Amino acid sequence: MTDRIVGILILFLALGYALEASRMQVGFLSDPLGPRPFPYIIAILVGLSALWLIFKPDPNPTWPPPRFWPVLGLVLLSLVAYAYLVVPLGFILTTTLEMTLLSVLFGARWWQGLLGALAFTLAVYFLFTEGLGVTLPVGRIFG
Amino acid sequence: MDILQALLNGFGVALEPFNLLLVVLGCLVGTLIGVLPGIGPISGVALLVPLTFALKMPPESALILLAGIYYGAMYGGSTTSILLNIPGETSSVVTAIDGNKLAKQGQAGPALAMAAWGSFIAGTLSVVGLMTLGPLLAQWAIRFGPAEYFALMVFGFSTLSALAGKNLFKALIATGFGLMLATVGQDPQSGISRYTFGFLQLEDGMDFLVVAIGLFAVSEVLMLLEEKTPGAVRAQVGRIYLSFKDFMGSLFTILRSSVLGFLIGVLPGAGASIASFVAYTTEKRLLGSKARFGEGDLRGVAAPESANNAAAGGAMIPLLTLGLPGSGTTAIMLGALMSLGVTPGPQMFQKHPEVVWGLIASMYVGNAVLLLLNLPLVGLFVRLLAVPAWFLVPAVLAISFIGVYAVNNNPFDLFLMAVFGLVGYLMRKLEFPLAPVLLGLVLGYLMEINLRRAMTISNGDVGYLFSSPIAVGLWVLAGLSLLAPVLVARFRKQGLGGDEEL
Repeated sequence: MTDRIVGILILFLALGYALEASRMQVGFLSDPLGPRPFPYIIAILVGLSALWLIFKPDPNPTWPPPRFWPVLGLVLLSLVAYAYLVVPLGFILTTTLEMTLLSVLFGARWWQGLLGALAFTLAVYFLFTEGLGVTLPVGRIFG
Repeated sequence: MDILQALLNGFGVALEPFNLLLVVLGCLVGTLIGVLPGIGPISGVALLVPLTFALKMPPESALILLAGIYYGAMYGGSTTSILLNIPGETSSVVTAIDGNKLAKQGQAGPALAMAAWGSFIAGTLSVVGLMTLGPLLAQWAIRFGPAEYFALMVFGFSTLSALAGKNLFKALIATGFGLMLATVGQDPQSGISRYTFGFLQLEDGMDFLVVAIGLFAVSEVLMLLEEKTPGAVRAQVGRIYLSFKDFMGSLFTILRSSVLGFLIGVLPGAGASIASFVAYTTEKRLLGSKARFGEGDLRGVAAPESANNAAAGGAMIPLLTLGLPGSGTTAIMLGALMSLGVTPGPQMFQKHPEVVWGLIASMYVGNAVLLLLNLPLVGLFVRLLAVPAWFLVPAVLAISFIGVYAVNNNPFDLFLMAVFGLVGYLMRKLEFPLAPVLLGLVLGYLMEINLRRAMTISNGDVGYLFSSPIAVGLWVLAGLSLLAPVLVARFRKQGLGGDEEL
């Protein structure tokens, strides 16, 4: 059943993808094929495979217990927040927080996680910026 | 002898102090990645590519490092299979069957030593194969035009889709998804934006590293979070030795499995996992009652371990000569080389001999490094498993952040990484293979360009794609390869009876 739903979603993805291709405006300066046919071929490949999935689905996967979903949501949310905060708050602060959160989710006590996270973050920050010349955000709030 | 001279020059490259250091580093990091369950070779290679960019490495050094990680991981995966029955990589799943039985019988030392010697011999043989077969294939492929290239890529995709997962159609969807991602950004010929949805950050296209790290590393973190791996484990290693009698008893198994593994590795799509599996089942049937496969036979360790290392060498052939990666790991290597301004393909043997022969020579060196350095260090590597998951997994994520951020210095990539982390997690749960997505993303651009060049040459006549014998041959092979799942399913039934993931 899960595969049927997934198949329908993928079918919509393929249709949307093809529709978007059909809306492309092509100028005069193009090759005989243009930018549209390649996406059409992909959409057909994906669409037909999705149809097969709808007609011959695999057995349902084993989903995690319901209490895992909030945890997954929290981690994903924190990753998105990380992307937004890393430049203003800097690599060291955001990475330490993110690592601490994950450590706790993996069963560490908060002070264990915080210490481990801080030590590791500082170590890799200086290894990569000073040692290897990678630029990482310092954090706008620190000047 | 041109080849010998070229190889000599290659050793000149590989033995430069910096490159030698990279070989050792690559082998060590690779073994580490192989030992740690949950971090696969694809994540490992993807996480280290940004480092090669940051250090402004020349392409040959970058490739030497990445290849070292690749076969180091092949090697390290066997250690935990044998000692703890936890395969570090899918290519070592079969090794665990006899290897762990041996360890339980107090024979861990001989089993580990057998894995090391098997890998060493197979690795060396596969390098010889690469050296002789590579230039020949390159000479043949140098006449390829756009039509042949397009057919070649279709062949590559169909074999990978046929062999990558349990369900052919899910693999095809994964390939198509990768190709969709490849069309994001500016159209190479007409210059219009496709599928950017107004995001300026997408004009240059999806960066393969961001996708790879999200799809593999981040989703692995999410999978581990779900499984809540029990942290620290300890294992007894004991003395590592291999008697001459045991070695001779397994020599023919090693040689046969090496050849088999190499040939499977050359085939795009059939990587180390399938090689180890096929070698094990072949030896089991060949030796019959002369061996005690499944109850703790050293040859049950020798066969898969030789085969997966030989396959890693064989996989370099289509990558270097045709520019066609056969697996997720080699797809990342291709992407890294292209970012460094080297497009693998038949011309590479002439245009960038230092890259090709430097890599080949470094693989010789790497095999020796693995044998000399890693056997004495097995105890140390195993002790790393005692590092608790609550420290290790967040640390992998922190390295992912650096890797993704270092690509473009753009936090938008971190957001994309999170999105692909979720996509990768869902794909794993629903048993969609992930490697075809990477392959589609890395090759999609070249595939479309070649199709459009072909159509420009023929002025829109589709028949041109089937106009040369080579192209027709490749189309036929592509069609036949879609029948491969039936064969693999038969192999699976005869071999183990289980549904071991390949």
